[in-house]
Amino acid sequence: MIRKFVLAAGLLAISIGVAAAQSRPVLTVYTYGSFAGKYGPGKLIKDRFEAGCGCELTFVTAEDAGSLVGRLRLEGESTKADVVVGLDMNLAAEAKALGLFAAHQADVKNLSLPIAWSDDTFIPFDWGYLAFVYDANKLPNPPKSLKELVDSPNGPKIVLQDPRTSAPGLGFMLWMRKVYGDEAGQAWGRLKPRVVTFTKGWSEAYGLFMKGEADMVLSYTTSPAYHAVAEKKDNFKAAGFTEGHYLHVELAGMTRTTKQAALAKSFMAFVLSEPFQSAMPEGNWMMPVKDPAAGLPAAFRDLVKPSKTLLYTPEEVQQNRRTFTDEWLNATSR
Amino acid sequence: MRLPLPHPGSIVAFAILALVGGSFIALVTIDGGKPTLLSIGPYLFRVLVFSLTQATLSTLLSIGFGTALALALARRRFPGRDAVLAALGTTMVIPGIVAVLAVISVYGRSGWIASGLSVLGWSSDASIFGYPGILIAHVFLNSPFVARIVLDGLSVVPAEQWRLASSLGFTPGQSFRHLDWPVLRAELPGLASLVFLLCFKSFAIVLALGGGPGRATLEVAIYEALKIDFDFGRAAWLALVQIAVCLSVTLALNRAFTRPPAALTTRLPAARTDRSHRALKRVDVGVLIIASVFIGPLLLSVLSGIAFIGAVLDRDVAVAFATSLAIATAAAAVACLLALALGAAARRARLRSRSPAVAAFYDILPNLLLAVPPFALTAGLFLMMRRFVEPAQAGFLLLPLINGLAALPFAYRSIAPRQFIAEERYGRLSQTLGLSGWSRFSIMDWPMLRRPFAAAFALSMALSFGDFGIVALFGGAELRTLPYLLYERLGAYRLDEASAIGLLILAMAFCLAHLSGRMSHAAD
Amino acid sequence: MLRIENCRLVWPDFRAEYTLTVAAGALCAIVGPSGGGKTTLLHMIAGFETPESGALSFDGQDLLPLPPAKRPVAMVFQDHNLFPHLTAEENASLGLRPSLRLDRSEREAVVDALAAVGLSGLERRRPEDMSGGQRQRVALARALVSRRPLILLDEPFSSLDPALREDMILVVDAMRRHRAVTILMTIHTPDEVADVADQMAFVAEGRVVASGSPAEVMSRPWSSDRSA
Repeated sequence: MIRKFVLAAGLLAISIGVAAAQSRPVLTVYTYGSFAGKYGPGKLIKDRFEAGCGCELTFVTAEDAGSLVGRLRLEGESTKADVVVGLDMNLAAEAKALGLFAAHQADVKNLSLPIAWSDDTFIPFDWGYLAFVYDANKLPNPPKSLKELVDSPNGPKIVLQDPRTSAPGLGFMLWMRKVYGDEAGQAWGRLKPRVVTFTKGWSEAYGLFMKGEADMVLSYTTSPAYHAVAEKKDNFKAAGFTEGHYLHVELAGMTRTTKQAALAKSFMAFVLSEPFQSAMPEGNWMMPVKDPAAGLPAAFRDLVKPSKTLLYTPEEVQQNRRTFTDEWLNATSR
Repeated sequence: MRLPLPHPGSIVAFAILALVGGSFIALVTIDGGKPTLLSIGPYLFRVLVFSLTQATLSTLLSIGFGTALALALARRRFPGRDAVLAALGTTMVIPGIVAVLAVISVYGRSGWIASGLSVLGWSSDASIFGYPGILIAHVFLNSPFVARIVLDGLSVVPAEQWRLASSLGFTPGQSFRHLDWPVLRAELPGLASLVFLLCFKSFAIVLALGGGPGRATLEVAIYEALKIDFDFGRAAWLALVQIAVCLSVTLALNRAFTRPPAALTTRLPAARTDRSHRALKRVDVGVLIIASVFIGPLLLSVLSGIAFIGAVLDRDVAVAFATSLAIATAAAAVACLLALALGAAARRARLRSRSPAVAAFYDILPNLLLAVPPFALTAGLFLMMRRFVEPAQAGFLLLPLINGLAALPFAYRSIAPRQFIAEERYGRLSQTLGLSGWSRFSIMDWPMLRRPFAAAFALSMALSFGDFGIVALFGGAELRTLPYLLYERLGAYRLDEASAIGLLILAMAFCLAHLSGRMSHAAD
Repeated sequence: MLRIENCRLVWPDFRAEYTLTVAAGALCAIVGPSGGGKTTLLHMIAGFETPESGALSFDGQDLLPLPPAKRPVAMVFQDHNLFPHLTAEENASLGLRPSLRLDRSEREAVVDALAAVGLSGLERRRPEDMSGGQRQRVALARALVSRRPLILLDEPFSSLDPALREDMILVVDAMRRHRAVTILMTIHTPDEVADVADQMAFVAEGRVVASGSPAEVMSRPWSSDRSA
């Protein structure tokens, strides 16, 4: 029995080794798991890029944006990454400080992004606003503003993510700070009784919500599009808040250490092109930074369009995250 | 003069300490050698107190409930008992997020119990977030495992002693005192420290069911330092605090319960004399009913993924299955071989050199490994080996190694005691025969170790099969395991498919636990 | 007198049917090949196995309806006779009071029994600190204090070396003479008990093939080459 297992393991290792040996140049793209997964846009993007580059594209994945930066930091200059797809604004300063990224040299004018883009290290490849998602069948009158949510003692129960372990969790903490400024601590105190829990990641929170444990969950304005397109359900909606919504932008960058500089550069240009961008809405369930020629899919057209975009620069996040987190902890950990 | 060769076990112990120590130093000095220092503020202090409390409660409940269940199962025979025993071996392997969703499905606001009550016209505002949720999840994951290990222990009480008990007319209380309690005293301290460690480190479950950041564990702070602050030095120091706490608990438990001498046999047990006692029968039936009411629905809610099995069976899943299997096999080999070497060293220290302190060190070392955050250990090991190994290949080495180290305490538990018995029985004989080295191992040890070794191998495989920890960092297109796929599907809103993959993991664990159970129960 | 008449036991892979009579106060050695059913015979008398049919009585009392604890039987096994967490005195006391709560006269009886098997002064030792021979003596002392008239010894000394075995057999013989007990003892070295045993029974393939005086049984040609 055991001997057979060992044999199987050995054969598997050999077959992986053989598969790894090929002749075409290889572009290694680091990304997060669900991007390259079965339902992610990864396969489409690999096919479309390989069609024109005479190369092979391989994805190397880590769990999430934080793990990507962690892995790059561990690998340092010996990293095999040519391009990294899937960082976010809140990690951009830390990622840049690694000194591993090269200037992208792509044209980032005329993006359909709520903010003007000027960074020369990273390019945005998709975006979405943070928003509270709810089931309209169960919650007919969702709060219309963040203040209403915070100040309704009998309001809906919500499930949030821990800002120390999760990107949307961090985003919401910044959102609170944008709206309440120095009073964010007190606001957290008033909201706390209706927070079911702060989960480790987005998946746990969304799972709790779908199991009916909370009336609303912190997610993205684009989440209802998933339910409409993939499940044909239109009862899931995102609540629009009058104060504006916090913006989540996902970023790509090429490394300074790449041995395929030309390929990496052409991939960076590819990121902003139609074949890549058109895979974003229904592949990654995020808004593309360039509107597809055929227009956005129907489900994306009637999503919540915030009147105002809330955002801290990566440098502000880097400087203040510790203070904000302590403020949040003080208000919620009793 | 020729120096005597060190015992392989001491080499392994040294290597483990060196690996852990080396990765600690690598983490602390990553920023050009200026080591960061750690200060523990009031929040971290509160988190520590909370972690200790919830881990202590979880451990007491898991041990108490698991032991009662083991005794009831040891006394009773019923149809399907074998399947129940195998099911006991599976809960440990359930990925944290699956356990969280199972608890919510049953006990949540819209869970089975709440829906049942509302049908009856009752409603309750009781929330399970906080201690109830955390304890339910931890007891669900750990007590079946405790029951399984204790049951294995109870079944190696010599048949002669049970015959003696029936011949002398022992009451159930006397049977417990002279036959069961010595086994429990030998098994429970190690088991308790294992469960304590698992609960102390528990992270996704505590955050999801705790209800607020006041209920967090040290592991959250370590995670934050590693993945958000990128302050690896701080992470290493926090890990050290965690190790210190776990070491003290393990030492305290070992001191409170010195391992008593136990007569173990490998023969099948005779019928227990306390089976026919009326009151005990009622107690046992009560325990079994409570256990099935508590564990049953939670397991059933995991089984609900069965409806979507068809949707997930594709090439991705097949490859991930094969990858998981290969990694689990390698990890189990690592765990079992290390356990063998450490167990041999512990036995030599105890029987030949008569130094119980040294033996205790070998006994504790595998448990301590659990206190090391796998993410920190992975990062540290990677930093150490990045000069020699291509990053792309690192995962292939690190995954089996880290998973193997994580399974080591479990493998050690089933292998080391048998090595001890083999030495007690045949040690002098093999000395007089002049057996040593390989021939000593193959003639004296292996016949007695074959089955526990195979059982430990299957258990280690099951544990590694369900592990997500380090794939998070070093997974990738070529290194996708089933737990990895599970999280990937969750990230793509596919809750149903994730539940089906969770069920696949559970099914595999069930098969392995069944195998492991048959190995450990079968007579030599 | 111990009477066993056509006691039948059936398992999927083994069947046995015993008929044997042993006089009160006798020492009966049970010999025969391993796997032939010697231990099963003792287990049946002690009540660990229940025959499908047949009769089993001791001094006129029918044993079959009695649970092991109620039978006039004390048993010593080849191994694992003692509880490792109890001292020699406590282990022996179990024969008298499983609760270990003894009054003064009972305690004296235990000390006497330990003395009778030659263990004076070792009352407080634990099994791990005793030799194999000493452990078996404790088990004999336990059988003595239980005051049960029928003692079953299952290969009690086979793990001891020959010199020690001879000593132990003398202890058993003395026990029988001074305490008026009936003893059945399985053994795989018949020569060693030939001088002290009153009776010898040869058991093979689940049957008592021959029974009589040791000299008689051992003189049969098949007994020497088949008793392993």
